[in-house]
Amino acid sequence: MAGGAHPFTLERIDGDPVSLDALTEHGPVVLVFAHGDCPTSTLALRRLAALDGTQGATLACVAEETPEAAARLARRTGIRFPVLSELAPFDVSRAYGIETVPTAIRIEQGAGVTGAAVGWDADAYAQLLGADLPDGEPRRKPGCGARWTYEAAGGLDELEDMLERGWSDGLPVVPPTPERVEAMLAGRDAAASLGPVPPAHGEATLERLAACAVLAGCRPAFFPVVLAAAEAALEPAFNAHGIAVTTQPAGPILVVNGPIREAVGLNGGMGALGPGTRANMTIGRALRLLLTLTGGARPGGLDRATLGHAGKLGTCFAEQEEASPWDSLHVERGFEPECSTVTLVAGDAPLSISDHRSRTPEELAATLAWAAASHWSPFWWPMDDVSLYVLCPEHATLFGEAGWSKERVRRAMFEATRRTAGELRRGETTGFVQTSADDQPVGKWSSPEQIMIVVAGGEAGRFSAVFGPCNGMQSQVMTKEIRWTT
Amino acid sequence: MDYVSPIDDRTAEPVAFAEREADLAGRRVVLLDITKNRGSELLDRIEHHLRLRGAETFRLSKEIFSKPASSEVIERVAIHGDLAVEALAD
Repeated sequence: MAGGAHPFTLERIDGDPVSLDALTEHGPVVLVFAHGDCPTSTLALRRLAALDGTQGATLACVAEETPEAAARLARRTGIRFPVLSELAPFDVSRAYGIETVPTAIRIEQGAGVTGAAVGWDADAYAQLLGADLPDGEPRRKPGCGARWTYEAAGGLDELEDMLERGWSDGLPVVPPTPERVEAMLAGRDAAASLGPVPPAHGEATLERLAACAVLAGCRPAFFPVVLAAAEAALEPAFNAHGIAVTTQPAGPILVVNGPIREAVGLNGGMGALGPGTRANMTIGRALRLLLTLTGGARPGGLDRATLGHAGKLGTCFAEQEEASPWDSLHVERGFEPECSTVTLVAGDAPLSISDHRSRTPEELAATLAWAAASHWSPFWWPMDDVSLYVLCPEHATLFGEAGWSKERVRRAMFEATRRTAGELRRGETTGFVQTSADDQPVGKWSSPEQIMIVVAGGEAGRFSAVFGPCNGMQSQVMTKEIRWTT
Repeated sequence: MDYVSPIDDRTAEPVAFAEREADLAGRRVVLLDITKNRGSELLDRIEHHLRLRGAETFRLSKEIFSKPASSEVIERVAIHGDLAVEALAD
């Protein structure tokens, strides 16, 4: 990059406005264009902060930020050289053709621009500055888009901006403008806090939760469900910390009961666990974004999932209470039928169970139970935590018409799965199996209460599903009332 | 364009590593077993090498691997150690 200098005067974060002439008065200046949403900018400024000021050129940072945000950037990176604030429409960046941040340009009076380095390149920066930089990796890193480049001819490309900020789970999101967040809050206190979100303990203000709900694509009508789900997730007994950081492909599964299902259009029928319904797809996603963005559980960062699975984007569905021969989940857990609730279960990826042939409840209970025999690990018997079964209406009806209570189904499933310790003593197995006699019968679960049952799905097709447990997490199932009005 | 950030800026700050010790002789090192499978075996090996370097070791355990250490455990780490090593394993 070479060319003439373009005069400017910009506000300095800790003093009077500064002109280019003043910066170059005593010799060459190296201007580092940067902004606070760009990790490479932060990296570059931190490295430059280590210089002792004796390099061959004056350093200054042109931050594409308000003075306040530019000051925060300076504090975060520890730089002590001048920091100038450049606001939209970013005339200085445009004039010098800065498309990437960080970009460093060297300017000398009378000679104009005499050198440039794009992104982070330690050797190129050393050459521009005429100084050795302290050792440290990485030596090179690509930069991010300069702010003015977001403004294409047709206007701001907000969706790209969101992804570049990292405010996403990898899919496009809805930008959380103040207007959208305010609509989501619907008069609630934006500053009210639900407490710290593990694992990084960012504070879950209602404003941040509403921002996550907007990003996820929720309608404001969904927010009471998101709010109750967040309250449940942040109960210490749910152990969101363990679920957020585990190597297991685990996540919160949301089951919604009560009249709010219909009011917000939550699907408990055909395809309830799959795509197609906005409420199902966005409510669980909002909670996931809270854990990821406010809580800092970024995949590959603090979220250490070895593989993960697509359901971690967010899994939320309604129980189809009307197709169930039993009390619904929330009534079973002590709530009134007319109450609306969300129940959170920590679970693994779902496993589909086909059974179109069983004609007795005993046969069906055995099929359902044995499907879970390989959960966690095939020889790991018994499991410690809760398995969530989603029975399709046809399976539930078979049990109902036989007069079986949910408790009887649970017990039949519990008793159907038995193997001897001798058969199980191979590969990954439990301490109980290792220390038991060969002929000791072992069940897949420690007790029938670990088998949780809800009803959902289309009226035709005998496919149920089971979510395996987050074994060893000691995560308690949480149910919260949803406070809402029509 | 202004947006409402979902991120608590306080969590955006990376936590700097503590300074590394040049010499372990006479230093008290807490070995914290987080109770993951075979973590104690890893700590046995580390303890052996630390002692060869003249360190004094002290073993502690978390209550459960999947939850943060309790304040009591953290306090005991601080009381008994100049340094700490946490074992993950599996």
